[in-house]
Amino acid sequence: MIEEGKPLFVQIAERIEDSIVDGSLPERSQAPSTNELAAFYRINPATAAKGVAMLVDKSVLEKRRGIGMFVPEGARELLLRERRDAFADRYVSPLIDEARRIGLSPDDLAALVREHGARLTETGRTTS
Amino acid sequence: MSAVVSSPLGRNRILNVVRLQFINKVTYIWMPLLVLGASWVISILIFAMIPIDEPKFGGGAQAPLWALMAVGIQAMTLSFPFSQAMSLTRREFYLGTLAAASVTGVMLSTAFVLIGLLERATNGMGVNGYFAYLPAMWESGWLGAWFTYLVVTMFLFVIGFWAATIFKRWGTIAVTLVLSGIGLLLVGVVFLITRLEAWPATWTWLVETGPLGLAFWAVPFIALMALGSYLTLRRTVA
Amino acid sequence: MTAVIEVQGLTKRYKDTLALDAVSFAIEKDTIYGFLGRNGAGKTTAMSILTAQNFATSGSVRVFGEDPYENARVLSRVCFVRESQKYPDDATAKHALAAARLFFPHWDQQLADQLIDEFQLPLRTRIKKLSRGQLSAVGVIIGLASRAEITFFDEPYLGLDAVARQIFYDRLLADYAEHPRTILLSSHLIDEVANLVERVLVIDHGRIIMDETTEDALQKATNLVGPADAVDAFTRGREVIHRESLGRVSSVTFLGTLTAAERSEVSAAGLELAPVSLQQLIVRSTQHAGTSEQGAPAADLKEVAS
Repeated sequence: MIEEGKPLFVQIAERIEDSIVDGSLPERSQAPSTNELAAFYRINPATAAKGVAMLVDKSVLEKRRGIGMFVPEGARELLLRERRDAFADRYVSPLIDEARRIGLSPDDLAALVREHGARLTETGRTTS
Repeated sequence: MSAVVSSPLGRNRILNVVRLQFINKVTYIWMPLLVLGASWVISILIFAMIPIDEPKFGGGAQAPLWALMAVGIQAMTLSFPFSQAMSLTRREFYLGTLAAASVTGVMLSTAFVLIGLLERATNGMGVNGYFAYLPAMWESGWLGAWFTYLVVTMFLFVIGFWAATIFKRWGTIAVTLVLSGIGLLLVGVVFLITRLEAWPATWTWLVETGPLGLAFWAVPFIALMALGSYLTLRRTVA
Repeated sequence: MTAVIEVQGLTKRYKDTLALDAVSFAIEKDTIYGFLGRNGAGKTTAMSILTAQNFATSGSVRVFGEDPYENARVLSRVCFVRESQKYPDDATAKHALAAARLFFPHWDQQLADQLIDEFQLPLRTRIKKLSRGQLSAVGVIIGLASRAEITFFDEPYLGLDAVARQIFYDRLLADYAEHPRTILLSSHLIDEVANLVERVLVIDHGRIIMDETTEDALQKATNLVGPADAVDAFTRGREVIHRESLGRVSSVTFLGTLTAAERSEVSAAGLELAPVSLQQLIVRSTQHAGTSEQGAPAADLKEVAS
């Protein structure tokens, strides 16, 4: 479940962000506590706390004294914007690199994207 | 919530070491009593079988003493490592264990005296055989007998404990050396007495002093061995 | 942060071996440490000396600011659970736990009962007759339920199977979250405990070769895989701690990380960048030392910038 590579607390933060983006952790709802996260992912509570702190710094989570951590309004928008900005670096560049390695030009790539995008609209899936 | 006795310092913890030794009642209570009782019963049966009418005296009462020596040894080999796991200091372990052994000693001596009184009252349990009521020991009454038996019990416990401490700290060779050394010393004393042709005087002295007197003489030896054990224990690794 | 244990220049010499070589470190309050290293590296010796069960040849040890030797005030706040623990003759698990209750001021009987249940520990069987796993469970339960402010676990879970070990880790984390304390876990099952420990202390041949947060440790080394010459081009000038080849492909682990620029170069060259797990890092560092000089400790990983 936990992958190597990025620091553990970053991975935890990203998982929380994922759940905010896909809606399973809605805005204005309460986020899992540090101890719950630690127990669920089987990690040290300090690591979980660090991940949460990172999100608080980004304003993706806010602390309500005496109650706990909540997802503020606008958090999802914030994350979507951030991900769109990072999209090119994160997905597009590696895609182009790999395509080049196997001999596909950016135009070939664009054609593939259109084709698979159409398939998605038809069948709801991109793979057959 | 927190432990029954939660004060971490001083007397309470030592008392708790005593309680520790008695958590499993077998070692310090039932086993010694059982050995005493079984030895007594066996003695009675043997006395009953001997077809002599005069008073018979047996040495069965020494059985629990050797058992206590074994307890002394195990106190170091098994109890001590466990006391370290309980985060006890060596001092706490030492004092608590010695105290526990004393409780057992008192218990055994009391049982011994009760048996003796019973034997006296029943003329040797009807078979004229005496396991505890050995006249030499009872010269100064039941209190003398009680004290003598207690001292011998503690003597053997401390010997076992002391030998085991030396073993744990310095190993087999050390124990062998020490015991050989003591053996040599005793041989030396016997040699000396023989050379000085002082056996008659020695016997006279022994008889005059009697078991009770010898018990008093033994006390400083016990104290010395006990102190030696403590000093050895202070730097022993479990 | 407050240091609850301070060790300075700790040395332990046996007749012809140096078990600990002028070791210095500090243990901070309410943190879970991984005390890692190979068998015989010096972990148990160090923990024994910290709990005054063994004695230093030289150097100083301070626990809660005091010398722990014969110090009931300090020792009552510490619990050392070791692998092969001796118990009194004919003692049962019930006896052992009743004893622990007497001496650990913060003992939690409810937690102990819960753990007895989870580990399915037979209370009235004599400890001599327990299986290896059950024996380990006794130690583990004492350590957890003691709630001692400093608790050492010296591979006491070696006898536990994977399921039981997971129970231990889960209960440890859960209890630590509710009741924080200082915990030192020694283990050679490094990856199993990697997520639990906040800091790692790695000892090799009696010397500390790593003392930092798990995060930083995980960033210490990088693994590059690809055609041998391309890989070598990147690793020239770096300290390589492990090299493996399969045909023309080689996998090289080296100390240090790559900058963002270097990472794009790597990606463009078609090489694969893989993270190095804590276990791999420690194993490869200590292997590396084993091949270079007999008995020398691994490269001092403290010097590597992270």
